[in-house]
Amino acid sequence: MVKIEYLTPASPEERKRYYREEWNIKQVPEYIIQSIQEREFGFDHVGRGPNDRYKVFRTPDLLKRFLKVRTPFAAYCSVAFYDKPRRRDRWTKAELVFDVDAKDIPVRTCECEGVCEICLNEAREIVLGIIDTLKGDLGLQNIHVVYSGRGYHIRVLDNDVMSVNTDVRSQIVKYLVGADVPENEYSLDFEKVSYEHFVIPFGYPNVFTKRVKYAILHLNENSELDEVNKKLLKDVLKHRQLIELDNWGMFKNKIGPQRYRKVIKGIASMNMSLVDAKVSIDLKRILRLPSSLHSMVSMKCTEVKNIETFDPFDDAVPKFVYER
Amino acid sequence: MIVRELGEFDGVLSENDDLMSIVTESRSQEISDDSFIPRSYFDLALKRIEWYAKKKNDRNFDHKQYDFLFNPDINKFDVIAFFLLCQAIGVKYGPNSRESRVLVESQGKLIENRLGKLSKIERNVLVTNILNSLLSSAHIKWTFFEDLISSKKLKLHELILDSGEIILDKDDFLERFSHKIQGRKPEKMYEALIGDRIKELVMIKMVMQNTENYIRQVGERSNREIEPNPILLELADKISEVLLASVQTFGQGSGGYGGSVKASALNPKAFPPCVKKVMEGMKSGGRNDAIIMFLTPFISYARLYPAVFSENITKQISDVDPTLSIIQNEILPLIFGAAERCSPPLFEDQPQDKVNLNAKLGFGMHQNPELKNEGETTWYTPMSCEKVKIHLPSLCKPDETCKKIGNPLSYYNRKIWVVKKESKAESAVEEDIKD
Ligand code: SF4
Ligand SMILES: [Zn+2]
Repeated sequence: MVKIEYLTPASPEERKRYYREEWNIKQVPEYIIQSIQEREFGFDHVGRGPNDRYKVFRTPDLLKRFLKVRTPFAAYCSVAFYDKPRRRDRWTKAELVFDVDAKDIPVRTCECEGVCEICLNEAREIVLGIIDTLKGDLGLQNIHVVYSGRGYHIRVLDNDVMSVNTDVRSQIVKYLVGADVPENEYSLDFEKVSYEHFVIPFGYPNVFTKRVKYAILHLNENSELDEVNKKLLKDVLKHRQLIELDNWGMFKNKIGPQRYRKVIKGIASMNMSLVDAKVSIDLKRILRLPSSLHSMVSMKCTEVKNIETFDPFDDAVPKFVYER
Repeated sequence: MIVRELGEFDGVLSENDDLMSIVTESRSQEISDDSFIPRSYFDLALKRIEWYAKKKNDRNFDHKQYDFLFNPDINKFDVIAFFLLCQAIGVKYGPNSRESRVLVESQGKLIENRLGKLSKIERNVLVTNILNSLLSSAHIKWTFFEDLISSKKLKLHELILDSGEIILDKDDFLERFSHKIQGRKPEKMYEALIGDRIKELVMIKMVMQNTENYIRQVGERSNREIEPNPILLELADKISEVLLASVQTFGQGSGGYGGSVKASALNPKAFPPCVKKVMEGMKSGGRNDAIIMFLTPFISYARLYPAVFSENITKQISDVDPTLSIIQNEILPLIFGAAERCSPPLFEDQPQDKVNLNAKLGFGMHQNPELKNEGETTWYTPMSCEKVKIHLPSLCKPDETCKKIGNPLSYYNRKIWVVKKESKAESAVEEDIKD
């Protein structure tokens, strides 16, 4: 089990040790190194937010020297690419990013204050679901995951989406998290047919079904959903093994069609908080630099090679923590 | 360009017998009044706009006056009229104007209505043909529709996406999904979810987007040209007159253009769910944004300038509240009330937030609104529902009325009529707005 010392702040001495002895430029992902001249860097030297901004490094060596000398409290790098990053001039494109912060997940089965092994794992499951949709529906491929210290960043570098604006990004977010209840009535020439989202095994309705399933399986009796009262919530919990078996029709019958609609409406609106949408629609955001130290929790912000098997408590704990 | 073929705009104003006979021979065309009959390309262009504006705003709209617009024989004239409109609006008003918006929307509506007059088969053939000419390949990446998605003319979740492509073709659909569909007929599912409906939608929206792009091009080109053609400028003026006339005569209601909502005392009963929620006070997270970014612009515009989006004219508070008495006596008390009900109360622990609030009203970074500082910042317009959902997701609890609007302020403008009617029926007691 997790020992709590992991998640306590790092001292200035520990920061120094980390950057001088453990940190290595090779841990900075290739996709950042390659474009290092086009990105803005930002640093927080004392722990009060990144106010040393608009930094530019012409080569990886210069970045290396800076980090080893200054051993900052936190280091950030822009998702945006600029022709003149020093003045944030001539924005050319920006990675499409999704920020899944474990402590902000709307349904968590743990009751911890900050983050713990359980909610970090739940954040990982959400990330898996989003990646699946990014690939399967949106056809994106250049996808990277970073463990941020308290959750995950998904960073998409397909050229097709790097240029899209805020409005498109906000629709992408909504699609990925399942923030809209799909139509369930369609008109044909002479009749109306109704297809609930769960009978449609493709497209957005299918994404929505998966997100609803995730939510229902993670609810507990204290969860709050708009317009869903205690009694209804109780009934949902009582019958949720039907959802586990994908027996949606039966579940809907047990709950009642009207009440079922209420439940999925509530979940749709809750889904909007699965990721921090503000991050996704910001074309100039700076994100924690992979390889840098998250000094608040003494963990490494780490590029995740294999999200299926990644375990932050194995893969993102700096050496000094073991010697505390 | 087709318009060039007219000999540099000569024939545009002159009476055109061919055109007039097509108009008068249209099947159910009303010809009892001369003014119903366009005589030139110029007239025809205006009629197109008039049709749309009246259809939208006029309760007594009579489609028989515009039947010629749906006569297939009008086509070659109509194309020219359409380009005239694009050029006139592009030159004089540019792509972000109300005129441009009206033209783009009217083009969409016109196609929709024209399709409605065709048989299913004709319709399908036509849509497929147009789509084929607009799309270069059968495999369309969704990013191709970036513009349409960005302008919300298409919603990402309404399209069927697979591996990055938008599925429109039936065979393609069946090949990809048949084996996954259980207990339902795949063909029928195709018809319901995609079928002609989505194809038409995509086609119409693409035409609309192309129209907008064309207006933009014209606008950009005309910046470089020396003297715009006077006929185009005259047409542009007439277009505005037509729009203005339809609003003045028929305005109000419908939320159409310029729907002149008057500023008046606030009626909290007509507030949308999100505003009601903030008014009750916020617990912890987001209370700052909720009060300053969201509530302050909403309350100030709802009270002082509810028609901001339809009139689309930038104002300062003193334009509508010259002595700032409404700000002091009505608006700030409401906002401070909501701030106090937050836990912990907002301005108690962060007095500098008052400065931010003041800035959002246009009075710069100062403690209190004063005329001499006005204009140092701009008066923030109310957040759209979209923005609320992103920045303050916990606020949005949509109800029935929310389906029809895109901004909490439009909700208020709509609801206030309903509420007024209801309360008149109930009793004549005035609501007290300062609860
Ligand atoms: S839909 Fe718009 S008006 Fe309605 S609650 Fe949400 S934000 Fe408010
Ligand atoms: Zn936890």
